Amino acid sequence: MTPSGDAIVINNLFKSFKKTSKKNEHTTVKSELVRLLKGQRRLVEPGTHIEALRGVDLRIPKGATVGIIGRNGSGKSTLLKLMTGIYSPTTGTIDVHGRVSALLELGAGFHPDFTGRENILINGIILGMSRGELKERMPGIIEFAELGDFIDEPVRTYSSGMFMRLAFAVATHVDPDVLIIDEILSVGDEHFGRKSQTKMNEFRRSGKTIVLVTHDLATVQNWCSAAAWIDGGRIRMYGDAPSVVNEYRRAVAAAEAEGQKTGHSALDQPGLALPTMDEVQGGVPLGTIAAVRLKDGKGATPAAFAPAAPLTVEVDWAVREKAKVRFGIDLMSADGRLVFSTGWDGGELSGSGTARLELARLGLGGGVYELLVSAAGNGEPVKNPFRLALHVAPTEGVGLLRPELRWSL
Amino acid sequence: MIRNLTELYQYRALLIALSIRELKARYRASVLGFLWTFLNPTLNMLVYVLVFGMVMRASVPNYAYYLFTGLLPWLYFSSSVLGGTSSISDRKDLLTKVRFPAQVLPATVVLTNLINFLLSLPLLLGLGLFFGVVPSWHIVFLVPVLLVQTFFILAVTYLFAALNVAFRDLQHIVGNLVQMAFFLTPVLWDLKSAPAIGSLTKEESQQLLLTFNPMASVVASYRDIFYEQRLPNWQPLLSVAALSLVLMWISTNVFERRREEFAELV
Repeated sequence: MTPSGDAIVINNLFKSFKKTSKKNEHTTVKSELVRLLKGQRRLVEPGTHIEALRGVDLRIPKGATVGIIGRNGSGKSTLLKLMTGIYSPTTGTIDVHGRVSALLELGAGFHPDFTGRENILINGIILGMSRGELKERMPGIIEFAELGDFIDEPVRTYSSGMFMRLAFAVATHVDPDVLIIDEILSVGDEHFGRKSQTKMNEFRRSGKTIVLVTHDLATVQNWCSAAAWIDGGRIRMYGDAPSVVNEYRRAVAAAEAEGQKTGHSALDQPGLALPTMDEVQGGVPLGTIAAVRLKDGKGATPAAFAPAAPLTVEVDWAVREKAKVRFGIDLMSADGRLVFSTGWDGGELSGSGTARLELARLGLGGGVYELLVSAAGNGEPVKNPFRLALHVAPTEGVGLLRPELRWSL
Repeated sequence: MIRNLTELYQYRALLIALSIRELKARYRASVLGFLWTFLNPTLNMLVYVLVFGMVMRASVPNYAYYLFTGLLPWLYFSSSVLGGTSSISDRKDLLTKVRFPAQVLPATVVLTNLINFLLSLPLLLGLGLFFGVVPSWHIVFLVPVLLVQTFFILAVTYLFAALNVAFRDLQHIVGNLVQMAFFLTPVLWDLKSAPAIGSLTKEESQQLLLTFNPMASVVASYRDIFYEQRLPNWQPLLSVAALSLVLMWISTNVFERRREEFAELV
């Protein structure tokens, strides 16, 4: 028996899929007949199966909001489909307590020729609501979707935004105990995005369990109570969201750095686990970056920096032996564009210490940026460059840049 | 088998909603709309009457009505099986995105065609009246015959739908199989006019047909009720019922064994 405090309990879960791409290995009537006549069981032959999950253990307590992160092909979506019951485990067990609603794809079973109202009915029943429940919730769904008179028009006349809003409205009105979400928090325009965010917060407050798969690490960090990092079909790390996300970021950065040097990395091979830190370091490193801190003028670290505030980046470094050290800091916008890059020769250094980069005025527009802090000793880059998010508080006007400006008449 | 069917009953709301949608969607964009429910079998019948009427008119009185009594139950069977075979493999959108009881899909096809069949029954009675055949009390036997037929169709559809997910060849084979079965079923021709096969006598070959083609017995029963206006021959009908039960047991077993792979293979 499982303790009643867990919404989802996964024990040593394996899931493998049959490879279908290999030539001569299609199941045909003939091959299947031959197999039947010979009385063979379907064998799990090595090489013809892809192991998507290789021994996952996970306990998700009731009321938790858990983000599942990991690279493409690491097994995240497979795990979600197993939680939902769409797939069944190859071996191992998975127990989900309570009613599950999965937002894997919005609008499952929508028919283009039917009106919004008719589609709410059918979609709602597919998602597991009874007719009575639907009748009761119909006004709420229609109101949430904000379709106006379009609710009685065929769905094929809808814009894609309207379609998504309707689908999202139905899916979130199922009133599940466990909500499983795959990358769909960004629905519709800014206004609807906020509205769905509110709905999600409502879910969380009312003690529902939420499992969320996303590549948006900021969401996981800010919004989830815990995060699970899946890598190569196993849980690599499970714990509080910020530290899991940080560890994941570092591993990706390390793999990227490795890739730049050797021309290939684990990132190029789908399904392959990222190398662990020890693997990457390969011997004793010459130097490391131990920590990076962001501070404003007063020496504090606010949740978001004001555009006009000064910024200090403190880099704790350590070298094994005396070396010529060069520090580098890249600032990237959320879409990965380089905003600026700066490098500085620290000269001959030994032991450990702290390097500082001071910006008298941040001068950035509101939003989330990413800092990549790296260093090199005697031309050899450190294996663990630091990545961290920089939140800048929104101001009047948009854009990456926020120079000191003054309007006048 | 029991579990599969009770599960189907539990999901009846879904089954009914999907069937209604299917019926509504089928003719939604057409001008004549729902009238096609009646026009389709009528036109189908007219084609056969035109082609085979010349040959058969002499031996079978009211040939158009005779044909129609066999054609309607046949169409119920053939469109269910043809549509049901790909019912699971075509619904990737549902199976991979939500937890979904897969047997609802073939059952929806069967239910949709059952409703269509029931709706076209007045047309059959109307045609009978046109030829001066007033329906008799034997019509109450429609209920057991229809039950047996539906059970048989459901079993066949389950089996084909489950197998077609892994072997898509099936959906191409089924079309031809159904066509062959059509000619082996006394829809266009009279059972009594069946030729002697090989060394068998006429009676024996008729018996052979009734034994190995459940639809022959079903169509014969409809003929008894609507055309001959007499009690259907219960012996072949009972053997169809028994056969359907065995087939349903096999089908649901195959279905349950394969259902895990549906979401992965569609």
